[in-house]
Amino acid sequence: MADTVSLLRRLILESPPGEWAVNQLRELLIGALKQGPIPQHVAFEMDGNRRYARSRRMETVEGHHRGFEALARIMEICYKCGVKVVTVYAFSIENFNRPKYEVEGLMQLAKVKLEQLTTYGDILDRYGACVRILGQRELIREDVLEVMDKAVARTKHNKKRLTVWLRAVLNICFPYTSRAEMTTAIRSTVQEFLSPTPPKNTPFSPSRIRQKILSNQLDGREPLPTIPDEPLDDVEFDDNDSSSTTLPPDSPEPRLLTRSGSYGSTALPNPDSITVDTIERHIYTADDPPLDIFVRTSGVERLSDFMLWQCHQDTHIFFRKCLWPDFDLKDFIWVLLEWQWRQKQSDRENSSVKARTNKARSMME
Amino acid sequence: MPMSVKDTKAYRADEQHGHHLLTEAQRQAIFKASLPSPNDGQAAVNNKAGQAQRRSRLGVRRFLKNQIFVFVFAVMHGIFSLYIKSRQTWHGVAYQISSILYYHHATPQYIRRDIMGLSKKPKHLSAILKTEGKHRAKNDIDRLIEETAELATWCACAEIPMLSIYEKSGVLKKHMPRVYEAVIQKFTFYFGTEHPTLSVTSPHQDDFPTRMLEESRHGHLQLHLISYQDGRESIVDLTRTLADMSQRGKISPRDISQELVDAELSEGIFPEPDLLILFTPYVELSGYPPWQIRLTEIFCLQDNETFGYQVFLKALRNFASAQMRRGK
Repeated sequence: MADTVSLLRRLILESPPGEWAVNQLRELLIGALKQGPIPQHVAFEMDGNRRYARSRRMETVEGHHRGFEALARIMEICYKCGVKVVTVYAFSIENFNRPKYEVEGLMQLAKVKLEQLTTYGDILDRYGACVRILGQRELIREDVLEVMDKAVARTKHNKKRLTVWLRAVLNICFPYTSRAEMTTAIRSTVQEFLSPTPPKNTPFSPSRIRQKILSNQLDGREPLPTIPDEPLDDVEFDDNDSSSTTLPPDSPEPRLLTRSGSYGSTALPNPDSITVDTIERHIYTADDPPLDIFVRTSGVERLSDFMLWQCHQDTHIFFRKCLWPDFDLKDFIWVLLEWQWRQKQSDRENSSVKARTNKARSMME
Repeated sequence: MPMSVKDTKAYRADEQHGHHLLTEAQRQAIFKASLPSPNDGQAAVNNKAGQAQRRSRLGVRRFLKNQIFVFVFAVMHGIFSLYIKSRQTWHGVAYQISSILYYHHATPQYIRRDIMGLSKKPKHLSAILKTEGKHRAKNDIDRLIEETAELATWCACAEIPMLSIYEKSGVLKKHMPRVYEAVIQKFTFYFGTEHPTLSVTSPHQDDFPTRMLEESRHGHLQLHLISYQDGRESIVDLTRTLADMSQRGKISPRDISQELVDAELSEGIFPEPDLLILFTPYVELSGYPPWQIRLTEIFCLQDNETFGYQVFLKALRNFASAQMRRGK
């Protein structure tokens, strides 16, 4: 009985009119979703390809291919809805521990798909689409890297156009872990603060400004909101400069004096001016809007080293039971609907709080 | 790409044969058939002039289409909020029942019996507690401290050696002595005089002087309090320190490795927890330290808004059944 039902279902759905109807329905749903608020940036952790392959008795690599098809489907939905940036976790640094055959298959998959992307680049131009690879480049094999660079370069100019034209950015995290990303960001921030600021040619004299600020401070007013500064008491370093004499001769000269002293041409920027934004600029997704939705499939309720820096604040995190190759509009629509619903809910709360405070204020008056 | 079945089959066959089966033209045909049309805005820019005379007819059609979309959107959200409301009600009732079924009766033996069957336990448990609103701040602090004390006691009963509590505003950290007193009181209430020892710690602060007794045979619980500034801000602080050190020539940027950062952050702030419990209706981390949640199992009861023992128990059960694969 169940067999005949599923056969009938397949017959109807796979016939041309059935397909047409399903497509029409998809269009309708996507068009309707577009009427509400739309997330700017969505991240997917594409988990479950191997379990899918195992349950269907396929080869693991075949499962990854199905996963790619699902990615293409989701990309299309996101594009039609108007999501600006999609970030996907394609390959983790930890994944290098997998069987060699599988790693090879994944590399091949990435290579072939990106090669196709470059050959059909003109089609992509029509969409204003742009591909970026995020991750530890040095871990990628030579030939794959070459193809990647080509694909990125081919679609890069799409970004430069007017912002209205930039419709879709796909960030592929390939070998990526979030901790490596944060470490890289810290390292490059430190690097940035090692190079002296170029002497600026401005009509404003720094000494005059400092004078002004000092006199302001003497008046007892705080000119700028200062960042709360909690020293890490466990990081050991001695403040006296005596140890600099033990340095090897080729190490950089201790430039402490120039830093804290006058703003000469070789002055180093003060490390205290590092803020969250400074580090944020060195994070891979620096140019992208904040992450609104994080989706992980296959029922695992962990972040597994993906987008930690981006998603730990007010991102809505969704864990879904279904395996990634099965992930489609029928699953994603629930995520979007719930997100839109919560958005509406929080808007309502905010406005009611505002109304209450307004009322209180008017009562006071 | 809503490809037709025929195209999908051809595409998959081609893939299996290493992309030699189809010719370039065939492949492109499949490609083109399955591509969506570019978004409207762009098309409008492209051929604004050419379509000017046809606009009136197209405008009506587009208007109708939009009306349909708006209508479907309203219907969809109507149905969805109905669904959500009934789901919330259902979950609310279910959680009420399970909170009656699973109750600790303030006896460590009961809790131990609940935990006994589990194949593994977290060594480091973490939880996010939330302040409710700005008004009635005093009640809020009392509630937070009470919840912290309860959670700490359950952990002590379950023999989990470390508990870290995240509270965004850091109000718990300000009241460390009160937290300590409250937990000890709860311990005495549950265990009697023979209760486990406790130490309350927090990053950026001197350890609260606890009456360190000799290791009691009832175990020891470390209660760690963290707040928003232990998240991104602590990474910024570390970067400042590292930048300062490299400006003085004490380290080179090349020395900054993931291991170094991890060692600093897990010693200076707190190590990675095994399990994170949320008492919110949905998963939102609200600024929880990003470095430390890498492989943490996140547990959140859908639509649950209450703090209770049943959430704690369900989280532990869920943790025991989860498997770690670490990218393999």
